Amino acid sequence: MPKLSRSDWYDLSRDTNWNLRYVTEEDAFPEQLSGTHRVGKQAWEAWDEPYKVSYREYVHNQVTKDTTTYSLKNAISRSKVFEQLDPGWKSVILAHYGAITMPEYLASIGEARMGRFGRAAAWRNTATFGTLDEVRHGQIQAFFPYGLLPKEPRGDWALKAFHTNNWIILAVRHLFDDMFVANDALSVAIQLTFTLETGFTNLQFLGMAADAIDVGDLEFGALISSIQTDEARHAQQGEPTIKVLIDNGHKEYGQFLIDHMFWRSWRAFALLTGLSMDYYTPLEARKMSFKEFIQDWVVKQFAEQFRDYGLDFPWYWDEFINELDWYHHAIHTIIWNYRPSVWWNPDAGVSPAEREWLEEKYPGWNRVFGKHWDVLTQNVRDGKLAETYPETLPVACNICQLPVVRAAGLLVGANTDPAPPRYEHEGRVYQFCSEPCKWIFTQRPDRFAGHKSITDRLWTGDIQPPNIGGLLAYMGLSEPEQGTDADNYAWAYGTTANGKR
Amino acid sequence: MALLPLSGTFIGDVTTVGIVVDDQDTAEVVGQKIAHHSVGRRVAASSAPIRVRLGGRVLEQDEIIGQAGAAPYDHVEAFFDE
Repeated sequence: MPKLSRSDWYDLSRDTNWNLRYVTEEDAFPEQLSGTHRVGKQAWEAWDEPYKVSYREYVHNQVTKDTTTYSLKNAISRSKVFEQLDPGWKSVILAHYGAITMPEYLASIGEARMGRFGRAAAWRNTATFGTLDEVRHGQIQAFFPYGLLPKEPRGDWALKAFHTNNWIILAVRHLFDDMFVANDALSVAIQLTFTLETGFTNLQFLGMAADAIDVGDLEFGALISSIQTDEARHAQQGEPTIKVLIDNGHKEYGQFLIDHMFWRSWRAFALLTGLSMDYYTPLEARKMSFKEFIQDWVVKQFAEQFRDYGLDFPWYWDEFINELDWYHHAIHTIIWNYRPSVWWNPDAGVSPAEREWLEEKYPGWNRVFGKHWDVLTQNVRDGKLAETYPETLPVACNICQLPVVRAAGLLVGANTDPAPPRYEHEGRVYQFCSEPCKWIFTQRPDRFAGHKSITDRLWTGDIQPPNIGGLLAYMGLSEPEQGTDADNYAWAYGTTANGKR
Repeated sequence: MALLPLSGTFIGDVTTVGIVVDDQDTAEVVGQKIAHHSVGRRVAASSAPIRVRLGGRVLEQDEIIGQAGAAPYDHVEAFFDE
């Protein structure tokens, strides 16, 4: 039997739709789950994904990718590659597995929501592949760290992390619940696939895979490359969705959804990627700073791709650009101070050579942030390690859940008041790290009200005893799981873990 | 006497911390409680006196924090008066 070429049957097969007779359109696509009713049913038929794939091709591609990636893993697991990796890089992958594995799996819920409640048949078809992608990403990123367990028991945080109240996980979970677990199909398309995946992670995964290869971590490099090719495909759901929205006069709503999630994505990126690129990745493997990466990739991408659709820069754009110089440096200092409270070993990344690199990439770094590390360095040299650990919690933002570091903004002239912006809702005061986080809350307070930040939980007695010991137990961290300095403080004595000055 | 949760920033540090003071504490004591989490840890020590600012007003050292108008979760700044 002759085989038809894909273009002969694809559109017909893809656009199979129902003529509803027994239920209404609203019953079949409830607005709370679909989010698409601003635009009429017919208009959604214009939805068209740029990159087509049939089920047969999809399965073939995925099997090929899995075969290659798992084979590589099997070969490398018998080697000593992991043991020889830089300690900072080991922290990059441990942090990644704990923070990202379960969200990838949960993203299958967001994809499945589009696969059921997306209003275009083409959209539902593409989202079905996306659902399978995300299940695969959850599974493969749980399996790879499972292979690390004999060498690094904290590989099990790939599964464990999301079942704890660890403060980093509170931040990540809050973000992804907002972005896709508790979001309607239209908002998932705009906020997950367009804003996060097209705007940030697709690019980040390319860079991260290259970095992994550079530091000799072939296993992680192959894993990330394998995931990135799926992301590139299913991330395209955002473009046709925003196009339908804009073509039907609802640009303003699309802009609102993007503004909301671009800021939240930036916060998560600064935490996970900012620290990895500027402090944890070994100096000799760094190709660009985090700021350069954001400028060259994310900003350029946003400027070119997002503006092609007539979208504007988010209203806080100047604040975002300004933060590239300082925000993640402040977060790094705090994460390192609170190192027992994370499941990886934070790399201070401030040996003399690294400080020189930081000063070159971020002129003024020594004046603003170096002076804090001068105090920390002296305490390490004087044997006063207790002074390098915390005794209370930083105030956490009621949106991003990350420490409020406006005090650092004060040092660089980014703001004039270190006080957290506040908002009172139904008798409770909420505190924020920034005006954009406050804006996100105030636009839809009922969506976020009631959640307690880690600081709220300490203040209201949820954490007992209310001290660092009680806090670490609350976060699910036994002593062997608690982070320590990645380089065993070699940086304080002018060297790095591998002895380089 | 009652416990009073506050957010406190020591100027020169990178973050704001959650602290619990007594509403009968003087501004001097509140300043020391904030400084405890910053000075000698991330902020270099200084011989200058530590002062406290609440709602834009620098408090007298013997002023009682509860009577100065501080409410739960208010923000208080401490700084070296150099």
